[in-house]
Amino acid sequence: MTALWILLLPALGMVVPLLTAKWGRNGCTLMTALAPLAALLVLLQATPSVFQAIPIVSTFEWVPILGLSVSFHLDGLGYLFGLLILGIGLLVILYARYYLSDRDNMGRFYAYLIFFMSAMLGVVLSNNVVQLWFFWELTSISSFLLISFWSHKSDARKGARMALTVTGAGGLALLAALLLMADVTGTYEVRELLQQGDVLRASDYYTVIVVLFLLGAFTKSAQFPFHFWLPHAMAAPTPVSAYLHSATMVKAGVFLMARFYPALSGTELWFVIVSLTGMITMLVGAYLALFKHDLKGLLAYSTISHLGLITLLLGLNTQLAAIAAVFHIINHAVFKASLFMAAGIIDHESGTRDMRKLNGLFKYMPYTATLAMVAAASMAGVPLMNGFLSKEMMFAETLTQETLGALSWWIPVLATLAGALGVAYSLRFMHDVFFNGEPIDLPRTPHEPPRFMRVPVEFLVVLCVFVGIIPQFMVGDLLAAASLAVLQHELPYYSLSLWHGFNLPLLMSVVAVIGGAVLYWHRRHLFHFYGQFADRDAKQIFEGAVQALQTAMVAVNHWLDNASLQRFMFLLVLLALILAASPLLHLHETVGTQPQLALNWVVGLAAMLLIVATLLTVWWSHRRLLALIALSVVGLIVSISFAYFSAPDLALTQLSVEVATIILFLLALFFLPQSSPVIDSPFKIIVRDLGVAALFGSVIGTLCYVMLTRPLTSISAFFLENSVPGGGGTNVVNVILVDFRGFDTLGEITVLGIAALGIYKLLARIPLYMPTTDSKGHRWSQDRHPVLLALVSQSLLPLALLVSAYIFLRGHNLPGGGFIAGLITAVALVQQYVAHGVDWMKGRIVFNYQAIIAAGLLIATMTGVGSMAFGREFLTTWFDYVSWPIVGKFEIASALIFDLGVYLTVVGATLLILANLGKLTTTERLRAGEG
Amino acid sequence: MLESVLLLVSLMVAVALVLNAWRLMIGPSTADRILALDTMYINSIALIVLLGLYFQTDLYYEAALLIAMLGFVSTAALAKYLIRGDIIE
Amino acid sequence: MEVVMAFVVATLFSCALYMMMRRSIVKLVIGLILLSNAANLLIFVVSGLTRGAPPLIIEGVDPSPFVADPLPQALILTAIVISFGVLAFAVVLIRRAYEVVKTDDLDQMKDTDT
Repeated sequence: MTALWILLLPALGMVVPLLTAKWGRNGCTLMTALAPLAALLVLLQATPSVFQAIPIVSTFEWVPILGLSVSFHLDGLGYLFGLLILGIGLLVILYARYYLSDRDNMGRFYAYLIFFMSAMLGVVLSNNVVQLWFFWELTSISSFLLISFWSHKSDARKGARMALTVTGAGGLALLAALLLMADVTGTYEVRELLQQGDVLRASDYYTVIVVLFLLGAFTKSAQFPFHFWLPHAMAAPTPVSAYLHSATMVKAGVFLMARFYPALSGTELWFVIVSLTGMITMLVGAYLALFKHDLKGLLAYSTISHLGLITLLLGLNTQLAAIAAVFHIINHAVFKASLFMAAGIIDHESGTRDMRKLNGLFKYMPYTATLAMVAAASMAGVPLMNGFLSKEMMFAETLTQETLGALSWWIPVLATLAGALGVAYSLRFMHDVFFNGEPIDLPRTPHEPPRFMRVPVEFLVVLCVFVGIIPQFMVGDLLAAASLAVLQHELPYYSLSLWHGFNLPLLMSVVAVIGGAVLYWHRRHLFHFYGQFADRDAKQIFEGAVQALQTAMVAVNHWLDNASLQRFMFLLVLLALILAASPLLHLHETVGTQPQLALNWVVGLAAMLLIVATLLTVWWSHRRLLALIALSVVGLIVSISFAYFSAPDLALTQLSVEVATIILFLLALFFLPQSSPVIDSPFKIIVRDLGVAALFGSVIGTLCYVMLTRPLTSISAFFLENSVPGGGGTNVVNVILVDFRGFDTLGEITVLGIAALGIYKLLARIPLYMPTTDSKGHRWSQDRHPVLLALVSQSLLPLALLVSAYIFLRGHNLPGGGFIAGLITAVALVQQYVAHGVDWMKGRIVFNYQAIIAAGLLIATMTGVGSMAFGREFLTTWFDYVSWPIVGKFEIASALIFDLGVYLTVVGATLLILANLGKLTTTERLRAGEG
Repeated sequence: MLESVLLLVSLMVAVALVLNAWRLMIGPSTADRILALDTMYINSIALIVLLGLYFQTDLYYEAALLIAMLGFVSTAALAKYLIRGDIIE
Repeated sequence: MEVVMAFVVATLFSCALYMMMRRSIVKLVIGLILLSNAANLLIFVVSGLTRGAPPLIIEGVDPSPFVADPLPQALILTAIVISFGVLAFAVVLIRRAYEVVKTDDLDQMKDTDT
C-alpha cells in the first residue's frame, strides 16, 4: 500500500491548486505543497526497508485473464527517483511561486505540475508493464500542457507540439516493445520480467524488442538523433524546465533503461547501440552547448550531453558503469535543477536570457552568482563537487571497458573531449554572465531575487557541495540500494572516496579541465568556426516534415476515396472477393465426398427460369417497371425452391415480403423518372464491373458447391430434440424464433419498428415533383377507384384476416407464425388502400400505426420481463397443455403472446411504411386539381 | 403409378412456366408482361399443390393459398400503376 | 443438382453485385433486392438440399437424421424480414435524395456531398 499512497497523494492533490487559487499566491502554494510533502513523508518512512533491499509490492487484480493488474513496487531505484521527483518537485513549487508573474494562472500551473508529478511517480513505481506505459504517456501529455503553458507564444506551442510528437511516437514504439517482452516471458509484471533476462536475450524477438525499447527511451531522453525537441521545449516557463527537462521527465528514458537493465542488457547489440548513441549525444550536446547564446539553450544542450553520458555509462559492459550511471543521475538532477533555477532568477531579475547582453552580473547579484558558479563548477566536474565524483567514475569506467573491441580506446578519448567541452561551456556560463564587463542594454536593472526564491537554489547547491565532500555519508546507502535494483545481484566493490591516487582518470579530469579552459580562452575562433555552418532550425524542419506527411496522406486518401459510391462498392467487392477466395485455395479439390442428388427436370427448368429472370432484371434495369416484374419472378421462384427443399415457413415469408416489396417499389417509382438516362458509365468501367462481379459470383458458386459436396454436421440436433419438451411446439423453426432465439427476434422487430419510424419521419414533407402523364405520354385514367377492384378487395379482406389469424395461431406447431400472419394482414390492408383510397381507409382505421408498433414491442418485451417476475431469466417461455370439452387438447404457451407482439409490430411497421408512402400523393393531386 | 403421373404433370406445369417466361420477355406491351407474371403465379400455385401431393404432406397448401391471394394483390397493384401511376390514392 | 444450384447462386450474386456498382441509384436498390435474395438462397442451399422433410416434429418419429436443418431457416426468415425493412428505408432515402438533387445519378450526387 505504501507505493500506492505515494502515487495517490499527488494524484489527489491535482485538484488542490485549482480550488485554492483564490487564496492568493502564498496560500495556493502552501496548499499545493501539502500533497507532495505528505507523499515524501510516506516515502521516507519506507526508507529502512528499501535500504535493506526489501521491495514493497502491492498488487490489485483487474482483469486477471488478460494479465492486467494495477500493481506498484518500491525498490531502490524507485525510491531514488521518488526522492528526486518529490524533493525537487517541492523546491520547484516554492520557486514557481516567485517566478510566475501575476498574469499567469497559478492554480492551473500547479495543477499541471502536480499532474506531471503523479504521472512520473506512476512511471517509477509501476510494477505492471502496461500500467508503466500508461503513466509514460501521461508524462508526455503533462509535459505538453506545461510547455505550452504560455500558449500565446507561438514558439511555446510549436515546441510543445514537437515534444509531444516525438515522445509520443517513441511511446508507441515502447508499447510495442513492452508487449513483446510480456509475450515472450509470459508475464506483465516488471519484477518477474526482470528475472527472465535470459529468456528475453535468447528469444528471436530480442533485436526487435531492443530497438523498439531504445526508441522509446531515446526519444524521451533526447538522445541523438531525437535530441532536437529538448531545446525547443525551453519555451516553457523556467520552473518547468528545471523540473521536467533537467531533473525528471527526461530522466524517464534513462530510468527505463536502468530499470530493464538486468532484463535487456548484456548483449553485444545493447552495448554497441547504447554506448554509441550515448557517446554521440554527449559530444553533440556538449559541442552545441558552447555556442548557444541563450542561457536556457546552453543548459538544455548541456542536459542533452549529460543524458548522453548516463546513456553511455548504461551501455558500457561493466557493472560499475551502471553504478556510475545511477550516481550521475542523482548528481546531474541536483546541479542541473539548481542551474536552471539560477538561470530563471537571472531572467526574472534582468529581463533577458541572452548571454551576449548579460555581462558582469556579479556585482548586482553576488549571492546568486556564487551559488550559480558553484553549481556550474559541479557541472564542469571540478573537485569537491558531486559532479566531479561521477565524472571520475565515468572516466574510470571508460578505461576498463571493451565495448567496441579493439576500438574501445575511442571511448575514453572522446569522453575526455566531451569533458573538455563541458568545462568550456560551464566556464562560458560562469564567466560570460557574471563577469566580462558591463551588461548591455538590459530591460531591467538586475538585483537580488526575493529571499525565498533563492532558497531552492541554495538547498540544491549545498547538497552538491556536501555530496561532493562526504559522498558516502550523504548518498552511500541510497546509491547502494538503487544500484542493487538496477543490477539485481550483489554489487561489486566500489569506493566513493574523493581521492583514488594519481591514476589515469584523474589525469583525464585534469586534461579535460585544462583543455576546456583553453577552448574557452580561444572561443572567438571556435565561434568563427561554428558560424561557418548554416544554422538549421529544427522547428522548421519538423514542421516541414509534418506538412509533407499530411499532403501525402491527403493524396492517398483522395485516391482511395473520391466520394464516389461506385468506387467504394468496387473496392468492397474486390476485398470480399479476395477474402472469400483465399480459403478456397487451400482445399485440395472442388468436389467432395458427399453423394450428389440426381437432377430433376422440374428443378432444372426452375433453375433455368431463375437465371433467365435474373439476367432479365439486369437487362431491363433501365426500365424500372420491367425490372420490377422480373424481380417478382425471381422472388417467386426463390420461394418455390424454398418450398421444394422443405422450408414451408420460408416460402410463406418470402411470398409475403415479395408482394410488399413490389408495392413499395411501385409507390416509390411514381416519383422517380421512369427510365434512367441512357448514358451509363463509360465502357471501361462496365467491363471492369462485369469482370469483378462475374469473378465474385464464381467464387461464391464454388464455395456453395464445395460446401454442398462435403459432409455437414450441425448443432440443430439440440433444437430438434428439445423443441417439444423445451418449447412445446412441433414447428421447430418457429420454436427457434420465438423461444430458443427469442432475443434475436426481439431485436429484429425493434429494427423493423425503427426503420418504419425513420421512414415516417423522412416522409414528413410534401414532394415537389409529380408526373402528369405516364412514360409513354398517355394521360392517366380518370377512374381513381375502379369499382370491380373495390368490390373484390372488400370481400378479400375478411378472408385474408381469417387466414392470417389461422396462420398466427397454428404457428407454433405447423408452418406459420407471427411474421407471416403480420405480413398477410398488412398486405390485405394495403390492398384496401389500393382499392378504396386513403380517405376511405382513414375513416375506418381509428388507430395510428405508431401506436401499433409500440404496442407490439411492448407486448414482446413484457413477455420477456414477465418471465423475470417468475424468477427466471429474460424471455424464458412457459407452456402447458389444456383440454377443453369440444376443442380437445391444445397447448398454450407464453410464446404466443410474444408472437402477438411480433405480429403487431410487423403489421404496424409495414402499414406505416406503405400507407405513408401512398398518402403523400393525394394532397398533391388534389392541389393540382385532378380527379 | 401416381408418382410418375405427378412427375409428368409437374413437368408440364414447368414447361408452362417457361412459356410464360417467354411471353414475359417478348411481350410487346407492359400489359402483356403483367399478364404473364400473373399466369406465372397461377402456375406456381399448381406446382406447389403438386409438390404437396408428391411428398404426401399437407404443409404446403398454405403456400399455395398465399400465392393466390398475394398474386392477386400484386397484379392489381401493377395494373393500377399502369393506368393511374399512383397506386394508393 | 448441386452444380445447378451453385450455378444459380453464382448468377444471382454476380448480377446483384453488378447492379450495385452501377451509376443510377435505382439500379443500386434493384441490386440490393437481388443481393438479399442471393444471400438467402446461398445460406439455404448450403445447409443441405433435403426434399420433402420439413423440420416439423411428428409424433413418434425421430427427426434428427434426415429432416432439413431448422436453424438456417430461422435465420433466413429473420434476414428476409429485416432486408425488407432495409429496402424500405433505402427506397425512401432515395426518394428524399431525389427531391433535393433532382436526379438519381450517383455521379452528380457525389458533387453535392463534397
